[in-house]
Amino acid sequence: MTKQTLQTNLYRAAALGTVALIAFVVGPALAHKTPVTPQQLKAYDDAFMEEVKKGDLLFHGDDAIAKKMGVTLSTTGMACAMCHPMTADTHPHSYPKFQAQMGKFATLRDMINWCIEKPNQGEKIDSDSEAMKALETYIYWSNSGSVLVPGKY
Amino acid sequence: MSELEKARREIATVLQQPGLRPDPSVKLTRRTFIHRSCVLGAATVAETFAWWPLINTIDVAHAAEAPFKFAWISDTHLYTRSLNTRFVDKTVRAAKEVQAMNPPADFLIFGGDLAQLGKVEELDLGVELLKEVKIRKVYIPGEHDWYLDMGKKWGELFGQPYWSFDHKGVRFIGLDTVSRAPDYWSMKKMSPEERMAHMSVLDGTVAGPWAGVGRDQLDWLQKTLSTWDKAKPVIIFSHNPLYEYYAPWNFWVRDWRDVNEVLKPYTKVTNIHGHVHQVLYNEIGTMRSIGMLATSWPWPYAPEGVPKLAKPMIRVDPGDPFDGVGWSALGVNAKDTVDNEYIMWGRKEVFAQSDADSSLSQPEILRGRIADNLWPY
Repeated sequence: MTKQTLQTNLYRAAALGTVALIAFVVGPALAHKTPVTPQQLKAYDDAFMEEVKKGDLLFHGDDAIAKKMGVTLSTTGMACAMCHPMTADTHPHSYPKFQAQMGKFATLRDMINWCIEKPNQGEKIDSDSEAMKALETYIYWSNSGSVLVPGKY
Repeated sequence: MSELEKARREIATVLQQPGLRPDPSVKLTRRTFIHRSCVLGAATVAETFAWWPLINTIDVAHAAEAPFKFAWISDTHLYTRSLNTRFVDKTVRAAKEVQAMNPPADFLIFGGDLAQLGKVEELDLGVELLKEVKIRKVYIPGEHDWYLDMGKKWGELFGQPYWSFDHKGVRFIGLDTVSRAPDYWSMKKMSPEERMAHMSVLDGTVAGPWAGVGRDQLDWLQKTLSTWDKAKPVIIFSHNPLYEYYAPWNFWVRDWRDVNEVLKPYTKVTNIHGHVHQVLYNEIGTMRSIGMLATSWPWPYAPEGVPKLAKPMIRVDPGDPFDGVGWSALGVNAKDTVDNEYIMWGRKEVFAQSDADSSLSQPEILRGRIADNLWPY
């Protein structure tokens, strides 16, 4: 065995060891490799419902949470839910689609921002922001029974 | 079967029996109104109404006895002027147009929800804006007017929340369907502002089934009607519809069975109600029911329970604050016909012209909110 080969083998062994160590440490997180546990399911559901609750409050014009998340969704006193009780007529299941008001192809997030800026005269939020995710989550959750019809006017 | 489904089946069994229809002599027509500004751009209010006689006005041939008009405005939901000027502008517009009616209306009925959060400033602002209307004005309360101070300011401004008067052969009755909410605030030690906040959210889950007429008022109603010929027309104004359309949004009164019992002997009853912010029509037993537009904002049709007889309104453009909202010009003619003309600003057609033109073409299955029951979050 040459010195070079020995070195290469040592590197390989070290690399393998590292991979094994990572696998050992993060193994439990790779849940798909083992049957999902009730505790995991609960954790996932809690994470989702947490977003639903945040979105519900934002959607209904709760000042405290808007302040906490640093967003101004409206300056007119209007909240999303005033035109969309129980998210009625938000039609998340019809996105993405050509949005007549904007004159362009749009996602639900685009439309949320349009509503914030136009009817509510608020400040547009980053489309990947926490507030946007929460609003989107609440709207989808509320429409859990609606059937997907992407593109429908 | 859900509670809602049970209630719906019950109402169908009790009220919508085969062959039971409103008296055919009470005709109700609904027409659209072409606003001149749609055609010619800006026009003064007086000019606008000069168009009226040209467009499907009430049948003057039957007008010999005592035909008359009256106007409905409701659901202005005024915030203080500094917070929201759009609602102020729309209230002003409605008031000016009512005042400019030609032939003039005999009176204006304001159907509740003058204020948004029941504040003294909001109610005072409403009174100030409606001063534009010089004809007789009568008022019934909405829940938004009531639950900050439990109707104190409203009572000071407008007096008794339910009343009746006779006008040209019609008995008009104003009902208070808002003030009898079950107490949801004392146990939770809510401040008046918190109580109002829960009440002011249509899809809230805390205020519960607050809409009702109440036994005391029903007794009064029965007594008031007992002096009236059962075949003569009765027009009842209420903030909420007097039947069960969608209870989760209080698009009903919870004691609709009792209301129906009291009204059953009267063959020409028309109920005109606010609260729903939408074009709506229904027949319940012998009673006809018409939903009125808000001036503030339109509400979508409920995800279920929309009366089959309701011809849906157009799908509203959310970018136009004057779309989907307005007021109503109503008329009663000698044949006891009640006409309702929805004055929806900026719309040539009030009713959906095709499936795609109606939000009902987009079926949705919704669930109620949860976060308001978890407060403090």
